[in-house]
Amino acid sequence: MISPIVLYSMIALGAVGVLLSLPRAKANFALPGFLIGSIAGGVVLLALGTKAVSESSANGLPNLYFYIFGFVALAASLRVITHPKPVYSALYFILTILATCGLFLILSAEFMAFALVIIYAGAILITYLFVIMLATQAPTEEMTENQAPFDRVAREPVLATISGFLLLAVLTTLMSRGVPTLTVGPVVRSDQILTELPLRIERALRDQHMLDGEGGILPTESLARAVNQDGSPGEYLVDAIDRTAVVRVDAEGGSTRVVAWPEDLTLGNVEGVGYELIKAQPGTIEIAGVILLMAMLGAVVLARKQMQIDDDAKRVQAEGLKPTGEGASS
Amino acid sequence: MMTTLAQSGFPEAMTSLTLFHYLFISAVMFTLGLIGFVTRRNLIVMFLCTEMMFQASGIALVAFSRFYLEYTGQVFVIFVLTVAAAEAAMALALVVLLFRRHETLDGSVWSLLKG
Repeated sequence: MISPIVLYSMIALGAVGVLLSLPRAKANFALPGFLIGSIAGGVVLLALGTKAVSESSANGLPNLYFYIFGFVALAASLRVITHPKPVYSALYFILTILATCGLFLILSAEFMAFALVIIYAGAILITYLFVIMLATQAPTEEMTENQAPFDRVAREPVLATISGFLLLAVLTTLMSRGVPTLTVGPVVRSDQILTELPLRIERALRDQHMLDGEGGILPTESLARAVNQDGSPGEYLVDAIDRTAVVRVDAEGGSTRVVAWPEDLTLGNVEGVGYELIKAQPGTIEIAGVILLMAMLGAVVLARKQMQIDDDAKRVQAEGLKPTGEGASS
Repeated sequence: MMTTLAQSGFPEAMTSLTLFHYLFISAVMFTLGLIGFVTRRNLIVMFLCTEMMFQASGIALVAFSRFYLEYTGQVFVIFVLTVAAAEAAMALALVVLLFRRHETLDGSVWSLLKG
């Protein structure tokens, strides 16, 4: 673990940096505050990196991209909360999201990374930008540089920073020491999930056969299934531990043979997430759909403009709709 | 602790990067979002900061999902995204509504609501 002295002193330094870079009334310390905050974050990341170098036998910094993406994400999120202009805050938030997507890619969560780009950067942030442009007030006398005073002055910066970084210190303490009662369960091998997807294995076996003619299964064959007591076909006979699949030949009375596991068959991230989503949380998908529907209805109802039309205006409009004789042929 | 936290398995071992690396990034981002939510007075930026906290929790969930080699964490991030999208739609509609009434985005204008 990195030394707690380094960790806590850098957390304190980061608090000073954030405090300085928050917008304030008179003097502007945004740049030095941002630099101090970046230095604090960078030192912690460097300490983590050197620790990783000393523990891994390989030369050089492993997973260099983690440190780049992590630093970009944190620096951009610092700019989100300190930039006085809301449009710039939204744009920096897009940068945060893109850096987070890089972190997700390192964690081999490709589906989440791309979904995040599409949904967050593509949809949600565009909505934010539209609303920022929609809800902009006309410049008044008390604005300086076309900015409202509530954007230029932070509210209770000292108390907020202290309490926030106290929370961070407690969180990192728990995280770095570990929780002894938290046990790591048995590792779920991806092959185990694959045995629940027998048709996927069969498809891979067929593809293998079509490619090089060796291994794989013939068009007349299929994956064997156990037979239940009442004669109905039971589970597929796929062995994940020995990585073998049993193939039954349908032609001659159901003889079986054992074929090797397909060479290049691994469970992709999208397949895994999709299978888990459908298998374990089918009801939650429905609830998510209801939440989205309700949000859409609520947004429409809330944002609708209330039109007050008095009776005179209605009468005038009705007069205009009346057929006038000659021109009313339509 | 650094090496025992790392877990080996599919698709490759989490050797040089441990869970703590990701949880640290997540915690700092969450803290920044919290500070931003408390200190900024612009309603839109406040909601932007809540989105940042959602994002930080997403990093932690995906890191845990990778650590335990399960997909449940990533599936949960999908639902976090759903809630974030719903929240953005509702919150922005509310912001537009509030802006029409007082012609300002200052959150402290609405402190009269505290009764």
